[in-house]
Amino acid sequence: MIDGSIESLAADIRVRRVSSVEAVEACLERIGRRDPALRAFITVDAEGARRTAKERDAELAAGRIRGPLHGVPLAYKDLCHIRGLPTSCGTRTAEYFVAERDCTAVARLTAAGAVTLGKLNMAELALGAFGDNAHHGHVQNPWRPGHCSGGSSSGSGAAVAARLIPGALGSDTGGSIRLPAACCGIVGLKPTYGRVSRAGAMALSWSNDHIGPMTRTVRDAALLLGLMAGHDAADATSSRRRVPDYLAGIDDGVAGLRIGVPENHYFDGVDAEVAAAVRAAAARLGEDGARIVELRVPDPQPLNDVTGLISRVESSAIHARIVRERPHELQPLVRRRLETGFLVSAHDYLQALRLRARWARDFIARVLAEVDVLVAPTIPEPAPALADVTDVPAEQVLRRMGSFSRLTRPFNGLGVPALSVPCGLSSSGLPLAMQVVGRPFDEATVLRAGRAWERASGLVGPPPGS
Amino acid sequence: MEPRRDPSVAAELASLIGAIERWAADLSLAEEPSRFAAALEGAAPPESTS
Repeated sequence: MIDGSIESLAADIRVRRVSSVEAVEACLERIGRRDPALRAFITVDAEGARRTAKERDAELAAGRIRGPLHGVPLAYKDLCHIRGLPTSCGTRTAEYFVAERDCTAVARLTAAGAVTLGKLNMAELALGAFGDNAHHGHVQNPWRPGHCSGGSSSGSGAAVAARLIPGALGSDTGGSIRLPAACCGIVGLKPTYGRVSRAGAMALSWSNDHIGPMTRTVRDAALLLGLMAGHDAADATSSRRRVPDYLAGIDDGVAGLRIGVPENHYFDGVDAEVAAAVRAAAARLGEDGARIVELRVPDPQPLNDVTGLISRVESSAIHARIVRERPHELQPLVRRRLETGFLVSAHDYLQALRLRARWARDFIARVLAEVDVLVAPTIPEPAPALADVTDVPAEQVLRRMGSFSRLTRPFNGLGVPALSVPCGLSSSGLPLAMQVVGRPFDEATVLRAGRAWERASGLVGPPPGS
Repeated sequence: MEPRRDPSVAAELASLIGAIERWAADLSLAEEPSRFAAALEGAAPPESTS
């Protein structure tokens, strides 16, 4: 019952074909059986989930439905503050992050009826692209143990892909939703900057952080986004724009849509199977009626550098206390990345912020005026082996991390929505992925294009052993 | 606090900051960080009234 979509599970619960308690028990059974090896969860709140599921079933029996997620179990990256549960943010400290109120995104899903199953593993302080974590265990790729799940929302990616839960939340500062979604063969959406409130979630970089859904289907991502999005007085950066119905029109297809494929940069040095899969996907969307436009785009590297510098400075400010008081608790690479931020002057930080503003306007005017969406690979290679990114010198890991996130980070800097959708499997059986990027606050078109590809290609998975 | 002075980190940063200085050289006086959010709002699709 938990192998399908959130939508189908919610429908089954609504008509009482299955109960919320049964759905929660099915998840807990899978977690108990598979998570000791996968390491996707940091906290499983079995007691709380069972209690809430019973309440949801009782409400349903009394004719009360809270919302579209009534009784559906979900889990959240362990940087979302939820009253009564610890929030480690992937550190050694169980209660590393305490907020004044529950994470707004989680609270909105809960108000729509979701049942919290627990908190998901992540890279320490969300600083890591591969999903390794020395404190809570390296999250394993469900498609192949010993390979990366992608990070930093590693547990979210692995848990959804392995069918432990039907959906999850992640956060994305340089690709942290899209990288694990791509590595694990699921859907991950980084919305427009300001579309979803970050209140109640640990910050890594105020300028680049985004909260978004990680699901098995594009429709589920649209469903969760619609429930989470919208202004929040607790997050001054959240937009006051009206939230559209992201499911309305999502199945309308791509006829007439202008889909851009970069001629330069985004396929440079990319694994041949990844590049071929994304080009084939674009061609298929062309056969389905989209107008494919090959176009030249600005070099993303300067934007990546500037976005990375902003993130380093802001993360150093946010997490200065643990660096100052308990540096020995941090993994060496995490500590090093935080320490770098202390070395940047205020002058250079402000110049970086000014550059980002100009480059965002330029990209929107030069690229997103020509096409409705842009497609590109999400990851430059299938998920690497964990040993290749953990048992090597720090310099090498940092270089590979920069390379691995080089196709996702630009869209954090630009603030535009970016959806990662599965794009088949490599010859070695690891997921491939395509990124669909759109205009600011035009998640509806991004989701429509992603859904068209999903319908054309069919769903990926489940991974072996699920 | 006293930051750690790892020579390889310092070299990486020096190169990056040098590049930022070059890119920022022709920024207009009117450019400010808040224009980022304005660019996103300004390029958003029209809000439907339905």
